[in-house]
Amino acid sequence: MAEIAIWGVIAGLGLATFATRLSFLALLGEAELPRWLKQILHYVPPAILAAIVAPQLLAGAPGLAATLDGPRTLAALAGFAVAHFTRSTFASIAAGMAVLWGLTLIQW
Amino acid sequence: MALSDRQPALLAGVRACLPLAPGVLLFGMVCGAAAAGVGLTPGQSFALSWLVFAGSSQIVATQLFAAGAPGWVIVLTGWVVNLRFMMYSATLAQQFRNESRLARWLAGYLLTDQAFAVTLARALDGRRDIPWFFLGIAATLWLLWQIASLAGIYLGALVPPRWSIDFVVALTFIGVLAPLLRDRALAAAAVAGGLTSVLLVLPLKLNLMAAALIGAGVGIGMERLWPKSQSGA
Repeated sequence: MAEIAIWGVIAGLGLATFATRLSFLALLGEAELPRWLKQILHYVPPAILAAIVAPQLLAGAPGLAATLDGPRTLAALAGFAVAHFTRSTFASIAAGMAVLWGLTLIQW
Repeated sequence: MALSDRQPALLAGVRACLPLAPGVLLFGMVCGAAAAGVGLTPGQSFALSWLVFAGSSQIVATQLFAAGAPGWVIVLTGWVVNLRFMMYSATLAQQFRNESRLARWLAGYLLTDQAFAVTLARALDGRRDIPWFFLGIAATLWLLWQIASLAGIYLGALVPPRWSIDFVVALTFIGVLAPLLRDRALAAAAVAGGLTSVLLVLPLKLNLMAAALIGAGVGIGMERLWPKSQSGA
């Protein structure tokens, strides 16, 4: 991508994000979110977080023939379990990286 | 808020950052290193950090830049990742009714998941000093994020690839995701989103957009089918 286009994308995403953050704060809290939008916004975060993570657990490219990468998948499961019980992102990172490094060291 | 009440509220917000600092610094460094690692200039990488200032969408934009996605897809996908801020904005607006326009615009620029979550917990405790507490925690998190980003941009290349430090990104998202799955419908949305992004290959790198929409659709469908499984919302 051309240099100027990259700047355009960064500025565009920055402005769109700022507008989203400012939306109701600028309206003085007089407006309310419509129910249908509330519902969609309720489910977008888990869907998109899982969508970002899942391809990083694959051994190759996404697609119908995709296969899981062993160490990364086990590390992700460990991180998930720790996050579920401790609710700490930092503990989840530590546990997941420990598992990944451990499995890499023993060349699993 | 009365002027004399502002300073203690602001300082309480600054102090509330302490337990969040390690995670924020680590994630900020990884985001900075990732942007520089795919070939963005230091200036562009840092612009992502202060113009967009939202880790998950910065990572998504970085990955889409590297994958050669068209500009409009990067903006659209990154924006969908950040749509949740609209919910936070609506909640926070109630607390900022009597504040100046400058304070409200500043609160908007500084709005993040962590600042919102901690402030919401305090508001639910019945505290009255919410606006300036929020500005205190949000501005401190902003500062930590920028410092971490710069460190990542300039030092990230020094970390050997065999440390697989890129996996910190996946683990950060897992750490945010796991506590979100409070009921069956939310879990279904996550499973549908994950499967969509793995199995469906769309042109123009529109996979993430599709995963968000399909995941939200499945979640809403589950909520309709089993209304009792819903505890959040």
